[in-house]
Amino acid sequence: MAEKWTVTFLINRQKDGVEPHFESFQLEVNPDEYVLDAIERVWAFHDRSLLFRHACHHSTCGACGMRVNGVEKLTCITTIRSVTSDGGTVKVEPLRNFPVVGDLVVDMTRLYARMEMVKAPSVIPLDEAPKPDTSVFDIKPDHDAPDDMIRLVDCIECGMCVSACPVPLTTPEYLGPAVLAGAQHQGLEKNPSLLELVDGPNGVWRCHSAFECTAVCPSNVEPGWRIMDLRKQLVKKRFQRLFGRGG
Amino acid sequence: MTTTARTDPHARSNFWKWFDAFRRAPGMWAYSLNRLSAIGLTVYLFLHLVVLRTLADGPQAYDDFVALVKSPVFVFGELVVVIGGVYHGLNGLRVALTAFGIGVPYQKHMFYAVLIITAVVSLVFGIHMFTA
Amino acid sequence: MLERSTAPKSGENTWLWLLKIISGVLVIVLLFVHLVVNHLVPSEGLLSYEEVIAYVTTPGIALMEMTFLVVVVSHSLIGLRSIILDLNPSPGLLRVVNWVLAIIGVAAVVYGIWLMQMLVAQAA
Repeated sequence: MAEKWTVTFLINRQKDGVEPHFESFQLEVNPDEYVLDAIERVWAFHDRSLLFRHACHHSTCGACGMRVNGVEKLTCITTIRSVTSDGGTVKVEPLRNFPVVGDLVVDMTRLYARMEMVKAPSVIPLDEAPKPDTSVFDIKPDHDAPDDMIRLVDCIECGMCVSACPVPLTTPEYLGPAVLAGAQHQGLEKNPSLLELVDGPNGVWRCHSAFECTAVCPSNVEPGWRIMDLRKQLVKKRFQRLFGRGG
Repeated sequence: MTTTARTDPHARSNFWKWFDAFRRAPGMWAYSLNRLSAIGLTVYLFLHLVVLRTLADGPQAYDDFVALVKSPVFVFGELVVVIGGVYHGLNGLRVALTAFGIGVPYQKHMFYAVLIITAVVSLVFGIHMFTA
Repeated sequence: MLERSTAPKSGENTWLWLLKIISGVLVIVLLFVHLVVNHLVPSEGLLSYEEVIAYVTTPGIALMEMTFLVVVVSHSLIGLRSIILDLNPSPGLLRVVNWVLAIIGVAAVVYGIWLMQMLVAQAA
């Protein structure tokens, strides 16, 4: 017999002409179900006007990112058990730092456009995209693998890192962790035109090392580390230029 | 399309959120406290420079000033400055190290170390300042 | 949808950021020295006028304190600038902010030098 909890979901509601406010829905849920399942149930059986995004339901599409109790989560893999208890409340809000289209849906255009702008790759060679130097992240290279083996880039463009970052709160022009990580994946060597972007007034120097992006990323992108790596590369280039290599 | 101040990227008043680290990861706390201590220390710095002017007005003026700052309110204020300064300096080192790619996977651990050292130093200073 | 603005390339840049980090490290070092020679070395911790005068005339002290002043004011104002930058000022406003901060910085250092030389003169 599956466990049954009674949980109250406080869901952000807003539409054109309707100010944002929370609406409360009490559901009987299995705590090992996911927050997204509960939201779907609210839509299906309680209020068909609820707006929310969802697609793959297994953390590869990046559509269902939302704020659950104030923290960014991929709701398709966030169990109800992990965010509340029997008789408790779950607050669900849309991502921060994006314009809200309605309810739980935000306009991601800016993020996608910027990912295009830095030509963030979707696949990379196996041994590229260096990771921070700790054994936890070691990908033991398979020496028998063909040289042209590639892998999918980790970023699923969910936008949670942008939501968690404190800089876009007041500076929407900041490129943001996902985009900068994408640029780092692409590689400054491969694409020198990226230099002006990441070195510019809204690039890596606006980062304040909060590392919130890395904390909420559901996909091991490590955007915080990638921004620091970009900085290292940029500083090296500056010094090289200053002290002669290339003049 | 109506947007809330909370999620509207163009709302300047969102800057209060710089100091809202509840339920967020340690790194956000580090940044929040760093920014807060930076502002506090800047205020202190310029105050410090201004009050040193009493030195230029001769021994009497300076002695009066020293008598003033020995009062408990000022001593407590100085303790706050010490706590802020120690935290800001130590976390600053953490920021400097991670910014050059050193120890990034350990940034959380570094933050905890910063907190512990700040607490210890604050305790030591606090006891010293109020028993001297 | 390219967001390359044609506004002048102000905003955070490599050198200012590097300067912030370097000055920050120097502040830690010089602050430590400053506190030790101010409060631990003199018997009254520089809380008497006579001690202060004797202190400022000690060789090397003036240089240390002035260096400290330059470094700490730089760090503080560059940091303040970053905070203001986060509030998204227009390029025109940012130019004004840059000038105001620079003037405050220079003024603070000039004031420090003036005060120092005034005290040294009083010892004579």
